[in-house]
Amino acid sequence: MAIEAPRIKNTLHINMGPQHPSTHGVLRVELELDGELVVSCKPIIGYLHTGIEKTFESLTYVQGVTLTDRMDYLNPMGNNLAYCLSIEKLFECEVPERATVGRVLLAELTRINSHLVFVGTSGFDLGASSVFLYCLREREKLLDLFEWLTGQRMMTSHIRPGGLASDFEPDWLKATGEYLDSLPKCIDEYESLLTNNPLFKDRMIGVGVLKADDALAYGVTGPVLRASGVALDIRKTNPYIGYETYDFDAVVGQGGDCYARYKVRVAELREAVKIAQQALKRMPGGSVRTSNRKVMPPPREELGTSMESLIHHFKLFTEGIKPPAGEAYVPVESPRGELGFYIVSDGSGKPVRVHERAPTFANVQALPLMAEGGLIADLIAVIASVDPVMGEVDR
Amino acid sequence: MTVAPSRVEAAFPDALHGVSQDGIPYILLRPDQLVETVRRCRDELGYTRWVDVTAVDEPNVEPRFELQYLIHSLTEHRWLRLKTQTDDAVPSIVGVFPGANWYEREVFDLFGVVFDGHPNLTRLMMPDEWEGHPLRRDYVDANVEPVDFTVTREALGTGGGNELRG
Repeated sequence: MAIEAPRIKNTLHINMGPQHPSTHGVLRVELELDGELVVSCKPIIGYLHTGIEKTFESLTYVQGVTLTDRMDYLNPMGNNLAYCLSIEKLFECEVPERATVGRVLLAELTRINSHLVFVGTSGFDLGASSVFLYCLREREKLLDLFEWLTGQRMMTSHIRPGGLASDFEPDWLKATGEYLDSLPKCIDEYESLLTNNPLFKDRMIGVGVLKADDALAYGVTGPVLRASGVALDIRKTNPYIGYETYDFDAVVGQGGDCYARYKVRVAELREAVKIAQQALKRMPGGSVRTSNRKVMPPPREELGTSMESLIHHFKLFTEGIKPPAGEAYVPVESPRGELGFYIVSDGSGKPVRVHERAPTFANVQALPLMAEGGLIADLIAVIASVDPVMGEVDR
Repeated sequence: MTVAPSRVEAAFPDALHGVSQDGIPYILLRPDQLVETVRRCRDELGYTRWVDVTAVDEPNVEPRFELQYLIHSLTEHRWLRLKTQTDDAVPSIVGVFPGANWYEREVFDLFGVVFDGHPNLTRLMMPDEWEGHPLRRDYVDANVEPVDFTVTREALGTGGGNELRG
């Protein structure tokens, strides 16, 4: 009589991270491994929690802009934009046309910034180190442009409630145009290194599949959701800052694997260049700061002649801007997905509550769906394809 | 986005409906209506995408916490906000939207609102042994030692500080 040998379940528990080069920051993943196979995968976050949402409550609204940069270091102006749109919604404040077009330009430039880093690092994580250098070369030029415009390379804080911090110089617009014209060729170059590279495809195709239903139930958004075949791009479905007037495609992938997410982002890179070029072409004249004196201070030269301007100036700088009491959440499409700031005001100079709906928070939560049942080496590709920024997960 | 959806109002006639300043309609619910309402919104009204939950703390108001659930309809491209108020606990909706798992843990961690029926209600951001809930308005961090910047002659020694200047 054959005796069935008891199957001993001998799994290994290891920690990947929080200090691991492929976890893009301080993500810790608790893994249960059966040989090379990932039996269970538990992302653990909180290593970068700095209480940003609490800090908002002790700052004025304008000071708060600087915190939004620090949540997502790859998408500073996209975060500024979402925060400012929520405040402007409370004020019902009109923003001049030049500032609105400028915001589209800056939001798309930061999207290019973010996706360049994604393409570079996702290749780098899988051993393609040269593409990383090329991507960072182009990103470096972009950071130089940001420095020229705002004085800062990464924490730009350039988009402010009511408009922009300062106007564009004609030379800057010209240099940006030349930079954008040079990009499509560079993207071709990256694609020649990665897209049809058999080693890269082997590591990406069919790996980390996320089904559309799961993605929706987990709140996954952005390129990760679109790679699963759901056509949700807030720039298309609920246009803000005039995106409906630009000619671009919302890229939708299929398959929901790592390769689809890569392809969606590369295609978005090209679309972002297109949108930014259109914004440059139509850049109107005029001011980049709203004339609503409750939101932005009056220009310096008015202070000597107008009593009201002087009072507004004094009030804005001693007490801060005071949005009417209420709540506002304005979602925007960040490079990582649906981003929005839920702001509650009680009519005073400091917010009652600022909550960031961070796209990476939901995307990282869905990591086990993509990684479990795969190989441990594939987990590297999966984390890279989610493109997490831990600053906005932990806040 | 600015038009109040009549379908939602018709589906929940006895709840309090309204529209926030941002144009997103909301429904104010009792905590015991929450799970059923979220399920009906998902299954009958097409709000299939999970977005967010967070809390607002107002210690002087009774009950002090207002929870804000946000869900999204892919067919109508519309957001819907569900509000409920509590002092301590609400039922968990992880059974309806698994994505609510981390969000509810975050609210539990930072506000101390308990989600009944949550599969793993532990701290998410703060260390497990942390005391208190930092995002409460009346939270005082016990770990911060007050720093005294007062300078006295005694503390500086007999020279009245001159020896420090050299």
